[in-house]
Amino acid sequence: MTARLHERVRRMRERALIRAWEYRQRAYSKGVWFRLRRVLVDAERAFSIPEGDADQLESEGQQPLAVGHELSPAKRIFFVRREQLLKLDAVELPVRLTAPLLQATSVVLVAHGSNDLEGELGSGSAPGA
Amino acid sequence: MEFRTRLLETLRAVRSVLNEPGVLVGGSEVPNLLEIDARSSLVVSEDVDIVVPVDSHDGVKRALQSVVGFQQSAEEPSVWLPQRPELIEVNFIGMDSGPRAGETYVFEDAALPLLVFGNLCLLRPGKPVHVEDLVIPVPRPAGLLAEKLLTDRSGDKGDRDLLVVMGLLLVSEPADLDELVTLYQSLPPDQRYSIRSNLGILSLLEPRSQMPDPVPHRARLAKLMARFERADAT
Repeated sequence: MTARLHERVRRMRERALIRAWEYRQRAYSKGVWFRLRRVLVDAERAFSIPEGDADQLESEGQQPLAVGHELSPAKRIFFVRREQLLKLDAVELPVRLTAPLLQATSVVLVAHGSNDLEGELGSGSAPGA
Repeated sequence: MEFRTRLLETLRAVRSVLNEPGVLVGGSEVPNLLEIDARSSLVVSEDVDIVVPVDSHDGVKRALQSVVGFQQSAEEPSVWLPQRPELIEVNFIGMDSGPRAGETYVFEDAALPLLVFGNLCLLRPGKPVHVEDLVIPVPRPAGLLAEKLLTDRSGDKGDRDLLVVMGLLLVSEPADLDELVTLYQSLPPDQRYSIRSNLGILSLLEPRSQMPDPVPHRARLAKLMARFERADAT
């Protein structure tokens, strides 16, 4: 009578073991999606930009976020202020892990309420990145 | 018949069970019940979870003897299937706050076996919901938020479950979030990581029909994430 319940418990314990393994591996490739999502959590909007614009941002001292280098092919991801965004040839993307964002090789993000955070965002590093 | 009517009619039918000490309505129907006048605008699943503390199991079994309108499922004996269209399915799930708290196991019983979910030990009784002639015991939002954010999930059902978290956040008070952060701090690191991971997934979900849309609330989710991270740092 309780065979199904026991089977569900067995599957849940199996998933718990996998989760524990994923947690132990979080600093390695297994944690990349967590880190990428974490960066996106802080972004109100996301845009794809041409390589030349990404080069320009780097030449101005803007450092791409570390998580972009963990992806293959690598992606340059920057947080920018709204006024910086106006100078870029930016195409808006949905802020979620969908094909347009994953296919873009250079991405700029605008933080929530970035007008209020101009001084805090600094050079391309976002909280938790 | 609208969902709210069926949900309330079902809770009316199992009222004797809800009167047992420690029994709570759990799961995705809680945000529905916490809406003004239990408006029940979210349709995640057409069933309701009744959380049974293992200490109250005998009392619940006795109370079930007076419940009519349901038939116990032969395949899943903790599920009671509705026999009338105005009712929805009832799932009885176990909660253990005793020595086995945090453990997931099968509570064996010939009449009402239960799957005891380890994370349900995070639930604490909240302010009951008074609607029509019913007094409905529900958990405090903080514990339910933590439990929902910890539950393993995958696929569309998993996404919809996370949107229930969004629904709960929308009806939570600042004090509930303070309590959530305190609860978060009490958890082991791997569970805190799971909570942050699921919160991140929630922040990036697409809107779904009849579910709360996370998009207008993403800044609020980011703030909650930052609070969790600050709690980790202290």
